[in-house]
Amino acid sequence: MHIVACVKFTPDPSDIQVRPDGAISLERAEWTISSFDLQAVEAGVQMAEQHGGQVTALSAGPAQAGSSKLRKDLLSHGPDALALVIDESLRAADTAATARVLAAAVQKLGDVDLVLCGEGSADLYFQQTGLQVGERLGWPVFNAVSKIELVREGRLLVERDLEDEVEVLEVPLPAVLMVTTDIHEPRLPTMKEILKASKKPVTEWSLSDLGVNSASAVEVVQVSAPHQVQRKGVLITGTPEEAAQELVRHLTKEGIL
Amino acid sequence: MPKPVLVFSEKPALLAEMIAGGLQFSEDVYAVVTGPREAADTAVQHGARRALWAQPPSSETLVEDAVPTLEALVREHQPALVLVGATRRGRVVAGRLAARLDTTALTDVQEISAAGDGFQIRHMIFGGGAVRVERLQAATVVATAGPGVFPARAPQPGAPGEVLPVEFIAPQAGAVLRERRPRAGAVTNLAAAKRVVCPGRGVAKEEDLEMIRALAQALSAEIGCTRPLAEGLNWLPRERYIGISGAQVRPDLYLGVGVSGQVQHMIGMSRSKIVAAINKDRNAPIFASADYGIVGDLYAVVPALLEALKKR
Ligand SMILES: Cc1cc2nc3c(=O)[nH]c(=O)nc-3n(C[C@H](O)[C@H](O)[C@H](O)COP(=O)(O)OP(=O)(O)OC[C@H]3O[C@@H](n4cnc5c(N)ncnc54)[C@H](O)[C@@H]3O)c2cc1C
Ligand SMILES: Nc1ncnc2c1ncn2[C@@H]1O[C@H](COP(=O)(O)O)[C@@H](O)[C@H]1O
Repeated sequence: MHIVACVKFTPDPSDIQVRPDGAISLERAEWTISSFDLQAVEAGVQMAEQHGGQVTALSAGPAQAGSSKLRKDLLSHGPDALALVIDESLRAADTAATARVLAAAVQKLGDVDLVLCGEGSADLYFQQTGLQVGERLGWPVFNAVSKIELVREGRLLVERDLEDEVEVLEVPLPAVLMVTTDIHEPRLPTMKEILKASKKPVTEWSLSDLGVNSASAVEVVQVSAPHQVQRKGVLITGTPEEAAQELVRHLTKEGIL
Repeated sequence: MPKPVLVFSEKPALLAEMIAGGLQFSEDVYAVVTGPREAADTAVQHGARRALWAQPPSSETLVEDAVPTLEALVREHQPALVLVGATRRGRVVAGRLAARLDTTALTDVQEISAAGDGFQIRHMIFGGGAVRVERLQAATVVATAGPGVFPARAPQPGAPGEVLPVEFIAPQAGAVLRERRPRAGAVTNLAAAKRVVCPGRGVAKEEDLEMIRALAQALSAEIGCTRPLAEGLNWLPRERYIGISGAQVRPDLYLGVGVSGQVQHMIGMSRSKIVAAINKDRNAPIFASADYGIVGDLYAVVPALLEALKKR
């Protein structure tokens, strides 16, 4: 079985800086592996360990996404190989453009049975890209997947964790699945895996290698810090009884109670 | 005639909200309904000019199987906008539809306005750390919105819209349903709640939610929660969690109990009229965004609060 795990490299959202005018700066942000994509990698690696096969990690992004540190970091988590699509325009790609590129890369890899994605990317968290990749490939595609089992050749049993119910589906391969953040705890790389990582094959493609463009239709007008509602900020201390009574008094005065 | 707006959600309450969202732009809001006939009638009562009622062939049909039908309806009616309720299934529907139309999907919009031949939207990125305004010109713009973004209109019996049966276009053979297991907890409409009591990880054990339920009852409040309680701990159904990836609420009162106040959560309740919080850590971030904060152990404060409410 050939499994592709889609992994995004992103600026670390916790490094966001808000400028005095409210604008957002990511210049100093360190690039990392998008937090929830390692769950997709782990799910793929476990499937390959159980049923045989190989896992290729696939990532598309601007130059920062191709650093040797990130490559090694990702490969030390278990994939057998890495395919990278590097182009500056991917920095501002909308989900359609990213999906077009990823779908083309999956087709170029050729013999793929299963594509796994994370729940959402750490920077944008649109929870979209994988769905569009699946439809563009013309394969069955589902999200919220919390369990994957191979029931027989070419068919998976997939559990989806939805808002008010759990749905169990039999999904024919090839397919695209977006996994939940709690499907598997990603493994910590061992020393051995870290050493092995630098020897694993990395393929780098340009957009023209794939024959796609990454033109985005979405125009970003503005990025800013969220608007803060002014709150009263009354802190109530004292014994629990006093504090409770004081809160009730305040809420009564506010017309809430 | 301005172009219509097509709306879809498998959840009737969320469909009513999408209809309200669509009515901002067009009187011709067409609601695509794949549920029972009553759901189509309800959509009309909520303001849909037409309920395009497509009956799925069986109860085993997946919600996502509506995609080919939606695609055909988009091609027929050429709507300016397709609004889809951002449940997990709704995200799949929107994403697959967008890909078929060779366009993108604008996700989890919190505000949407007409701009030129397209739309301008506002949504969160960086897990709530930033707001991004985007513009998209496209023949048809596909967007998703979660609960609480567009307040639904009150249903009007005898509203002038009509229910039009349309063909359900069966998808090519694909995934097969094996089982559906309901998750615990009744269906809620948190988005419309006037008061919300929200337990967080400060609640140590599942049994202790009883105390929270008693408090909610005393306040006639709905229970919301932070994500870890619904995802991971599984104490409460997922539809009860509030935040960037959960429900958006705008009650008169939000009371956080043992909630730290991480940005991903606060995004979902920042439009509350009054925010109150109980947390034992004086430095908990939630206090910075609260009107009234009690610094104290919830296990002492909640019982005291129940007493104080009883005495009123
Ligand atoms: C991409 C992304 C999306 C996310 N989306 C969401 C979302 O939509 N909604 C959401 O809620 N979260 C979301 N999260 C998770 C979020 O970052 C926080 O982890 C979560 O909101 C924290 O929940 P909490 O406040 O219940 O728990 P904690 O952060 O663990 O806080 C518990 C609080 O309880 C207090 N406490 C402990 N014991 C007591 C006691 N006895 N009495 C009083 N106080 C006590 C502590 O002081 C602490 O402040 C998301 C995260 C990511 C990365
Ligand atoms: N540039 C990218 N390269 C590889 N995978 C990606 C990329 N963007 C998104 N993905 C995958 O799609 C998922 C959803 O992303 P998003 O729609 O941005 O939330 C992520 O968790 C990744 O698995």
